This record gives sequence, structure tokens and C-alpha cells, in this order.
Amino acid sequence: MAAEELPSEFDVVILGTGLVESVVAAACSRVGQRVLHLDRRSYYAANWASFTFNGLLTWIQQHHESQSEEVQDRSSLLEEGEELIYLCNSDSASISNLQTHDFVQSQAPHTDGEEPETAQPQPPTAPSQSEPVRKKISYTHLVKEGRRFNIDLVSKLMFSRGSLVDLLIKSNVSRYAEFKNITRILTYRNGNTEQVPCSRADVFASRQLSVVEKRKLMRFLTSCVEETEEQQVYNGRPYLEFLRDQHLGDNLQHFLLHSIAMVTEDTPTEVGLTSTRHFLRSLGRYGNTPFLFPVYGLGEIPQCFCRMCAVFGGIYCLRHSVQCLLVDKNTNRCKGVIDSRGQRISCSHFVVEDGFVSAERKKVATPPRSISRAVLITDASILPSDSDQQVSMVTVPPIAAGSPSVTMVELCSATMTCAPGTYLVHLTCQSVGSAHEDLSPVVTRMFHTSESHDQDERPSVLWCLYFNMADGSAAQVEGHDLPSNVHMCSGPDGGLGHEHAITQAQSIFDKILPQEDFCPPAPNPEDIIYTEEETKKEGVEEEEEKETTKEGEEEEEEKTNEEEKETKKEKEEEEEETKPLKEE
Amino acid sequence: QHGRLKVKSTAQQEEQKRQEREKKLKIFVAVRDACFSKRKEGIWDDEALKLTQQVLSSNPDFATLWNYRKEILMHQETVKEKDEVQTIYGAELSFLESCLQTNPKSYGSWYHRGWVSSRMPKPDWARELTLCDRCLSLDERNFHCWDYRRMVVKMSGVSVDQELAFTDRLIGSNFSNYSSWHYRSTLLPLLHPESPEPPSPCLKPLLKEYELVQNAFFTDPNDQSAWFYYRWLLGRAEREDMISCVYVSRDEERVAVAFSRPVNSVGLLLVLDGQPQRVEWRSVHPRFKHSPLWICDLPPGTISDISYEHNLTVHWTEKHIHRDCALYTGRTESYCRDSAMDQELFRSELSVEKTSVLQSELQSCNQLQELEPLNKWCSLTIILLMRALDPLGYEKEMLAHFQTLREVDSMRSAYYSDLCSKFMIENTILKMEYAEVRVFSISDKNLTTLCHLDQLLLVTHINLSSNQLQRLPPQFAMLQCLEVLEADNNSIENLEGLYHLPKLEEVLLKNNKLIAAKHHQQSAMPLASCPKLKRLDLRGNPVTQIANVESELAELLPAVKDLLL
Repeated sequence: MAAEELPSEFDVVILGTGLVESVVAAACSRVGQRVLHLDRRSYYAANWASFTFNGLLTWIQQHHESQSEEVQDRSSLLEEGEELIYLCNSDSASISNLQTHDFVQSQAPHTDGEEPETAQPQPPTAPSQSEPVRKKISYTHLVKEGRRFNIDLVSKLMFSRGSLVDLLIKSNVSRYAEFKNITRILTYRNGNTEQVPCSRADVFASRQLSVVEKRKLMRFLTSCVEETEEQQVYNGRPYLEFLRDQHLGDNLQHFLLHSIAMVTEDTPTEVGLTSTRHFLRSLGRYGNTPFLFPVYGLGEIPQCFCRMCAVFGGIYCLRHSVQCLLVDKNTNRCKGVIDSRGQRISCSHFVVEDGFVSAERKKVATPPRSISRAVLITDASILPSDSDQQVSMVTVPPIAAGSPSVTMVELCSATMTCAPGTYLVHLTCQSVGSAHEDLSPVVTRMFHTSESHDQDERPSVLWCLYFNMADGSAAQVEGHDLPSNVHMCSGPDGGLGHEHAITQAQSIFDKILPQEDFCPPAPNPEDIIYTEEETKKEGVEEEEEKETTKEGEEEEEEKTNEEEKETKKEKEEEEEETKPLKEE
Repeated sequence: QHGRLKVKSTAQQEEQKRQEREKKLKIFVAVRDACFSKRKEGIWDDEALKLTQQVLSSNPDFATLWNYRKEILMHQETVKEKDEVQTIYGAELSFLESCLQTNPKSYGSWYHRGWVSSRMPKPDWARELTLCDRCLSLDERNFHCWDYRRMVVKMSGVSVDQELAFTDRLIGSNFSNYSSWHYRSTLLPLLHPESPEPPSPCLKPLLKEYELVQNAFFTDPNDQSAWFYYRWLLGRAEREDMISCVYVSRDEERVAVAFSRPVNSVGLLLVLDGQPQRVEWRSVHPRFKHSPLWICDLPPGTISDISYEHNLTVHWTEKHIHRDCALYTGRTESYCRDSAMDQELFRSELSVEKTSVLQSELQSCNQLQELEPLNKWCSLTIILLMRALDPLGYEKEMLAHFQTLREVDSMRSAYYSDLCSKFMIENTILKMEYAEVRVFSISDKNLTTLCHLDQLLLVTHINLSSNQLQRLPPQFAMLQCLEVLEADNNSIENLEGLYHLPKLEEVLLKNNKLIAAKHHQQSAMPLASCPKLKRLDLRGNPVTQIANVESELAELLPAVKDLLL
């Protein structure tokens, strides 16, 4: 938008382009609200973003050099009866303990030098002579092929019958993205990676289950869909106890507890059953597993909603922030905002990503919870199969008492998130210690790193990144020291699905527009009537808006051009089997 | 409302659609007429190809136009170079592909594709196979595609092994797939032709099949496709054609011949003491054109003298088989036969290995039954396995399983009762033959139907009392030696089968449901055709309530001395 002035009046101003903010933006714009959507960053989707390899390196760099802008005094812009609330301009607080390792033989500079002092220093180990021959990919290669990567900061999957998929279908936003099925569910058990049979076809084909186990598993899966009195007896007692009493055997108990319910051994039965049902409901809608993954990475999803917002007239500015809020002293309502250029913009609602709200105004769970994350680039799949294009979800139960259970997603190049010949592995868990403390034991067990000296068949880690991210589910929606028409959105939560974000977006929308439908289906472009007469009748105001609509669309065009054009063509050639979301 | 998008109403959309449809229709009709007139004039040019393509791409089921296209293509074959023809047919295939995209189940498109593929100078079968696989991955039950695929496989000589692997793949992705299971059942015999010696190499693949299908029905025991395939796997061997019995009676001067399956009388030849006889073969009831039993009367006086010995041979010329029977001096009747036991009629022909296989199959089914006591497919399969292994030894268990079946699947309880009756009759026949008697007794066994009556040709006494029979079916007339029939306490209302039974003397039908003699002349009283009937007990039947029934019956059955009403 260059130096052009923004319109000075909006219905809703939104700061931050994370998933919650983007869904709220799309929902408001869709029902006719004038939306201004800003982000201080140069990229979309905040902590939900996806980066190319090089983009991620830049992101890491930025987080090491935490830049603090000088806060300009804006009190001169105050009118009578108003006061200012300053926002913080650095969101780096949500990310901590960043550290990277690369294990490839290369002349390229190691990134380890950038490690912050807080993190455990991991001196780069000299590449050992015993490294397997198959390792051919060099760091230079990764950098060269960097554009083929789309590395997500969060690692989530979409439940086929989860609220995100429902919303994408309902709102027609699904037309902006393509999706792939997670092709298999794996689990790590007794030092081995095994496939978890969860669908009918899997159970049929499974070689590790006896026929009797097959029957028991199928029977359990069909029976637990219904609530029974027998189950209620176990309310409050551990799910594991319930499973034991079903005479399922160790194999099946492991699968059901860790991979299907994805809960821990002491989770109460009713919670375990609820999440088992959630899993089962999603099964078979789009394939043999309950999960979908967006092609080009999860960062696509917030962008799709932004696009929807723009199509309906929302205005987008990146590298553009809000410095402070203008609050009416009498009503304690936010009347407007002052942007980073000092422009006064009035609005009736302000939606903000929690990172921009200063800590003393926020009400968060104590002690603050966080998520431990690791991103690995590897040279082989953790469970090789006929096809080298598997997308796997792997559950890793706690490997020692007190350690967290880890969810791992292994993406192949068909998801357009990594270069051919490599795999992108995301590890996530609720933090117990730092990301490195929590996850490196799993990494060294399941992968070949130069830290693990034994020669073996395990995939080699070429590059890896550890970091902690604040757990979005720790922030609460209510009870912040903020005007009533300021709505705070939390960042990504630690859960596998998107339920938390979507629920939050809907509740914020309902507060802003209690009478309106949340994301009704967008009409087909050919069914929209554009007649000049009608716009004229409704007056000048309408005409102005028409213009902004155009701008919005242009902006959207720009976005697509900038970010996707270059890579899209190469990507399209390799694309296959992507699934459009449809209601069945 | 402020800032809202205006969207066309449904009425507007409808109107737009209607206009578009009309426009399309006009074009369609015009092009169609152009095609027809061109065909009439016998023009087979490129333009005609274009025009038909236009119509067919919107309606691929227009058979006339496909035929016109065939004419054009055949004409092109005669005038163009081979390479060009190949190109034309190639284009035809890609056009057909687009047709299949609009309607993957179009008869016309698939048929035409088959025609094109078989005419093409250099068909690319690999490509056709990929196309089929793609179609089947979209809809595994598209039988048009299955058909076409079979043709492609046949023409391109895909190996049976590969095809089996193909069904493996389909079954792996979804085992509720009759087409794939059935395809397996046609492939396996090709891959492992049943050779009697040595039987062992056939066993291993068989065991693998059992394992595969077990995986399916343990995973989902309510899925029928796997059970049906399993039954095919367990299936009995086909019985060979044979003459199972020849019976000759001096008194009636009659010969009866029983076969292993229903046949017609063409090609039957009777040789008596070296002389071919001119006889007329008939089935036991006018209703049967095909029958496992045929009888004929010898010319009067040929064998009536008891002091002569006679040698009979029945030839079944069609199958080049025959059976001899000697009627010795002083004997009034004679027979020569293989018993049901000799033929192992009611069980599969099992080698020792196969028996052990079936035994272990029975074990796994019992295991499943424990987990799923209410599963009807499992119970039924257990019964079949028990029948194959030891019909008499498992009789008690079998009855218990039938009881379960009737309870869990009450909709089909009559079917199970009939099936149970059949198995009980088989068991009784076996017992009778072990005892080497000609008395068949099966009372109080809840029989609902009679079957295997051709096996009872030699029976002289039959006891069917206290069952739930409703009729004596026409097949009952196969009991050519029957003298005494006991069928008290049933629900019999129809005596059709008591038809021309030459030796029948005594009929006990106390407490049945026989009604008025006159109104049911045909069905109730064919007894009049039994020449030797002397004693008839009809007590406790509705028929006895009719006024002057006694005189009517006396008139109908003058030979009966002992009539109990």
C-alpha cells in the first residue's frame, strides 16, 4: 500500500494474521463489515506461518536479534475524554530456546553460531567418518532447494470431521486450498516404528495382529461409538483401566490409548472415549485415516481466510502495525487506533493477537504453558514402504517416566513442504523442559544424528531446529484488562486439531456481531450481480466501499503474485492426487 | 442491507439454466439431424466424424451414432495408410476417454472402446489396463469396466499371477468387493489346476486363501462377500456323471434307473439279455422333464417267468457309461447300485490333508463364534464345515447351531428349517445305509421339507410321523418300492407325490390337514393311481367332517378295504 493513506474509518480493525484473527476477519468481511487487517510482520499467519528453508533461516535470525522499536508518543493525537493504551511491538516473547543443528557434511556456515545463550549449547560435532554412504544431500543443497520447503511453525493436522474442515466447507473457503490425506498412522513402541491399524482396510491388511485381535479391535471400535452404561461405570477412572477390562491385550491397548485416543495412561475414561470418538468420526470421510493436511503447509489456511476477507472488501497491509488504542474514558470502549504511521483510524471493534498485548494486561494461566517443537529435515522415511510418498502421523508415548508424549508428523515431498528426496518431520509436545530437553531423546532414538554413533538403517537428520512456543490455550478469552470491544486472540495451542482456534474465532465473532451468521457459504463468483445502478442508489458511501473492494482484490492479487507465483509452476508439475474438500 | 453482496435468486438462476438448456437442445437436434442425413447419403468423411463426436460427447449412449462411427472408421481403414489408421483410432480412444469422464457407466462408450481396441493395428494394452485401473479406483464396482478389463487382459495376455496380485490390491483397499473375490475364484483354478496326484502342492495356496478370507471375516463378520468366497473355497468337488442305481421288478415288469443328477431320457438304451429293447422312458411324474430317476415298462411277458435268469444293461450313450443288473432265478426283483456312502454323497471328497485343513478352519470359526455368538454367517459356516467333516458325529451341535440361527435371523427361519431338514434327511439316509435296511424312519425331527427322494428308490417302509410337513411333493413318486407310508401328525394338505406308486399298500395319514376329496381331486386323492392300496387312515383330517365322505372315497378308491375315517 506504499505511503498511501488508509481510509480513516472501519468497522473492525484486526492486528495479527494468525488463524483466529484471519477467521474473524473473513467472517466479519463476509457479512459486510469494513475490515482493516494489519500485521507488523512481513509475512502472513504469525506463529501459524510456513516458511521456505531460507525464509525460516531469516525468521530464526530475526528472533535472535530482537529488535525493539522506539515507542513514539502519540498523546498529541488524543481528543477530549480519550486515553491511550500502548501495544507492545515485539512478539518474540512467544518463541524461546531456539537452537539449530545441521548434520550434513558441508562447507556452508553452521547456523549454530546463532544460538542464544539461554539454550544449551550444542557444539557442532565434526561429521564422523562412519556416516552412511546414502547421505548425499548437503547443506548447500538444502539452501539451493530451499524454496521447495514449506516449514510450518506449528504442527497440526485437520480432523476430517473437525471444526476447521466443517468451517472450510461451510464457508467455501476450501476452494482456495488443496488437501492431502495423512496416509498412515504409526506408533513408536519397544524401539520399533509400527503401523497402527485404525480403518477397516488397515485392520484387514495388518500383519501384526492375529485374527482374534482383529475382531476384538473392530468390535471395540464399533462399540465405543455409542455411549453405554458399562462405560459410565468407569467415569473418573483411568481410560487404561477401562481398556484393560475389555480384554484387549497389550498390542491393542497401546494402539487405542496412544494412537487413537492420543491420551496418556492416567486420562479419565470419559475423556479417552470422547477423543476416541472424535478420531473415529473423522475416519473414512476422505480416506483411511482421520486426518487431512493442506498442500503447501498449514500456513496456507490463515491465508485462505485472509483471501476470503479480501474478496469481500477487507483491506490488507503487512509491515504495518497498530501502536496504540484510543479509549473513551467514560465508556471504556476502544474508539479507534493509531497505526504505526501515526494515522488515527476509528473502529467499533478491535481484534488483536495476544503477542501485541502487554503482559500486565493479559490474564494467563500460571505457570505459563508452552509447547516444545522440533523440525527435522531427514533423508528417509522412518518406516519405508512401497511408496516413498507417505504422509505419516506418529505417536510416541513417553519414553521415560515424566517425559511428555510426543506427536510427530512426517511429511513427504508430495505435500509440497519439502524437497524431493527429503522428509520434513515435525515433533510437538507439551513442554516439560526446553524443546531440546523434551524432544532430543526421541530424535536420537528414532533418527541417526551425529550424536548417535551407531550405524543403522534409521533415517539421518540433515538439519534440525528446536524451539519453544507459548501455548495459545494458556491465554484466556475473558478477564483481560482491556476495553470491552477489544478482543484478544491466542496463538497456536498444543492440540493436534484446530478446535481451540476455531471455537475462539467463532466466540469472538459472536461477540462482535451477535445477530450474524458465522461464515455463511460464499456465493459462486458467477452468481454475484454487479450493477452500477444499484450501487448508485445506495449513495456515496457505498461507492467508496466499492473502491475499497477493488483495492482489496488487488491487494489479494499482489499477495498471490508475490508469494506464490514463482514456486507455483514448479509445484504444479509434481502435484497429484490432491483432494478438494467436498461435502459428501 | 448495508454493504451486502447481491446474489442471483434461485428463480433467476433457474431461468438462466433453462435458457442455456434450450440453446443446447437446439444445437443438439440440429447436429443429430445432420448426422442422420449424412448417414442416409452414405457419406463417411471426417466431417461426419466431427458431427457425431459433437452429439456423442454430450450423450454417449446414442447407439446409432456409435454404429455410424464404426462405419466411418471401417471405411477409413480401406482408404488410408496403416499409420494414419492407427492415429485415427488413437484419437478415437482419447475421445472415448472424455465420454467416459462424463458417464463412466455408459454402455455405448465401453462397447465402442472394446471394438476400437480390437481393431486397432497396434493396440496399446498397457495403457488400456491403466485406464481400467484408474476407473476401478474411482468406482470399484463399475461392472462395465470389469468387463472391458477382462477383454484387455485376455487380448494382452496378462499373466494370471499379475491378475491375482491385482485382486490382492483391490481387496486390500476394500474387501467388501464381490467382483474382486469372484475374480479370484476364477483365477485360482487356472493357477492351480486340480490335479489328483500329488495333492500337496495345491494345499499351500489354498491355506493362503483361507488366511486371507479369514482376515476379512474376522475384521468384519457381517460382510457377506468374504463369507461367500469362503464357501466357494470350502466347496465340494463336482460330482461325476454316473448311473447310481438300476432296479428291476419282475411283477411290474418295470425297470427304474437313477442318475447322479437330473437328466433327460435322451440317449438311454436298455439291453436285455443282449437284445436292445424298444421301450418308452418316462419320469415318475408328468411334471418332470428332467429327473434323476427314469422308469420304463418292458414288453409284457419278457421277464415274468420266475424260473428264468435275465441280464440287464442300461447304457447312457451320451456319457458312454452303463450299468449292469442281473435278475436271478426265483427272485422277484433285483438292483445294482452305489450307495450314498460309496459315493460320499453328502460330504466333500477329502484327502487326509484337506480334512486337517477343514478341522483347523472349524477351529477358527469356533473361535470367532465365541467372540460373535450372534453372527449368522459364522454359525452357518460352522454347520457347513461340520457337514463336510463328519455329518453324523456333529449332528447334535448342528441342531444347536440351527436353533441359534433361527433365533438371530428370524426373517430366514424357514430357510434354516428347510436346510436343517435337508441335512437331517442326509443323515438318516447314511444311517439307513450303514444298517443296510430298506426302512427310512425320520419321525419327530421337525422336518419342514422333503428332499433327496431319488436316494430312496429302494425304500419299502417310510416313517415321517410327527414332523411339520405340508405336502408330499411330486418327487415322492420316486419311491418306486414303497409299500407302507407312515406320516401321522404332520400338516400335510397335499398328496401330489403319491402318484402311480406300484407297490404302495398302506397309507397312514392320521392328524393331518387333508381337506375335501372332491374339491382337491388333483392334489388330495392321486391315491387312486396307486393300484395296490388296501389300507388308508385319514382319522383327524378335516376331510372326515364332510358329509358322505365315506361313499365318495369308496367310489374313488374301490380297492381300499380298510378305510379309517
